[in-house]
Amino acid sequence: MIEFKNVCFRYETEDTIKNLNFHIEKGDFVAILGSNGAGKTTMSKLFNGILKPTSGDVVINGLNTKTTRTSMLAKHIGFLFQNPDRQICKNTIRDELMFSMECIGADNADAQKRVDTIIEKFGFDPSHDPFSLSRGERQKIALASIIVTEPDVLVLDEPTTGLDYAECMQILNIVSELNSRGTTVVMVTHDMELVLDFAKKVLVMTDGRMIAFDEMRKVMKNMEVLSEARLLPPQIADLALRFEGFDDVYTHEEMFQKIKEKVRV
Amino acid sequence: MKGFLDYKDGNSIFHKMNPLSKLFLAVVLCAMCFVSSNIYFVAGVIVINLLIAFAAGIHKMALSILSGLLKLSIVLFIVQVLFVRSGNALFTIPGLNLPITDDGVYFSLLFVLRLLATALPLAVMLSVTQMSDLANVMVSKLKIPYKYAFAVITVIRFIPVFASEMAGIIESQTARGVEFDTKNIFRKIGLIIPLCVPLLISSVKKIDSSAIAAELRGFNRRTSKSGYKKYPFGGNDIFAVLICAVVITAGIMI
Repeated sequence: MIEFKNVCFRYETEDTIKNLNFHIEKGDFVAILGSNGAGKTTMSKLFNGILKPTSGDVVINGLNTKTTRTSMLAKHIGFLFQNPDRQICKNTIRDELMFSMECIGADNADAQKRVDTIIEKFGFDPSHDPFSLSRGERQKIALASIIVTEPDVLVLDEPTTGLDYAECMQILNIVSELNSRGTTVVMVTHDMELVLDFAKKVLVMTDGRMIAFDEMRKVMKNMEVLSEARLLPPQIADLALRFEGFDDVYTHEEMFQKIKEKVRV
Repeated sequence: MKGFLDYKDGNSIFHKMNPLSKLFLAVVLCAMCFVSSNIYFVAGVIVINLLIAFAAGIHKMALSILSGLLKLSIVLFIVQVLFVRSGNALFTIPGLNLPITDDGVYFSLLFVLRLLATALPLAVMLSVTQMSDLANVMVSKLKIPYKYAFAVITVIRFIPVFASEMAGIIESQTARGVEFDTKNIFRKIGLIIPLCVPLLISSVKKIDSSAIAAELRGFNRRTSKSGYKKYPFGGNDIFAVLICAVVITAGIMI
């Protein structure tokens, strides 16, 4: 579905992305982790051809990003940026969603139907001015304007920056629901707790290199990888590492059950 | 054009000059291009600009501006040369029966050279001068009220900020399917218009937060004596005066 083959990218003289090789299957939920400057955002922009690889190839649904225009890839891959204000350009929520449908060349009847469904799902007032809403609401509108086009792949670049916990969960629950219905999700983040709650696989980057790409549970307790990427494990996973027999504990619920079990014994 | 008009750190003679000397030099270089109508002189001013840029270590930026303007210059030259009818006909465009005259070629060339020569000095000057120094010197030496000096430097400082914001908006819109990656220039221009909304919103927000921050830091209490930095004229400034003298003399004589 998504394939990175020997991908390198450089802005000026030095490679920002160094020889990336990996494959993401349809329906995966992959979190891209790394400290600031690791190359996460640069890498995310390679997914839909906003940046073209200096060498190597990125192939999405059989389309090479080097030879396919980014605007053409929009039908296949939706991209949610950190800043929703760069995306919103219409005066009402309905117009904003309709604009997304126009961009992918959907016919009017289909567009109206899909926009109505999304407005109902998100609980938007369609005549509301997006710019008068809170940052979290605007991020939701930006997300809605992407998922209304029903892309196969959703790339989220730090989607929860500047949002409170409730807004964060609202957005990620919607994303998680889409993932459960088959949408492939790639999420750039440095929030380990979110990774724990939502991601199935984790790709860890440091200094433009990929140092791990595996099941979330395997990576989250690999202290060698986390320390190389200058990341701290999630608090519960970190605590579990300090106890004997808590190897399979990753979430609060699992910790609660394990303690209950131990107390009973 | 990334980092266009941003300050580039350095230790060159032009970095060390008094900001007022640099401003004066830039104004003289621009003004003399309009005083003289000699294309060799104007071409000479472009060379001086490039030499200054090389000496200040910002030649890459200067060459990038020149190459960017060169495309525009070619279009302007072609348009201009077709509309000037005075002078002796050099040849006639077959089919259109449109004469190309020696005056047309001369004035079109002068026009584009002036464009190139006047675009560079300000960009070079701003790249080797800290904005705060420029504002301070305008207030302390030229006695311009700080509010006006601040307005000028804010406008200049916001150009690269808005350029980068626009690049971000174009990226976001292209990612959702707006065809900014089309090769059709006219289609691209048409697509820019809806983008004015997010750019305007973000610009107003940035300016508003800058104004609030300035107010909170006592912007209105500042006077011409408030700056702690002094800007004395020194040996480096004599070099700026020498360049100005040479350029002014050459501009008048040629």
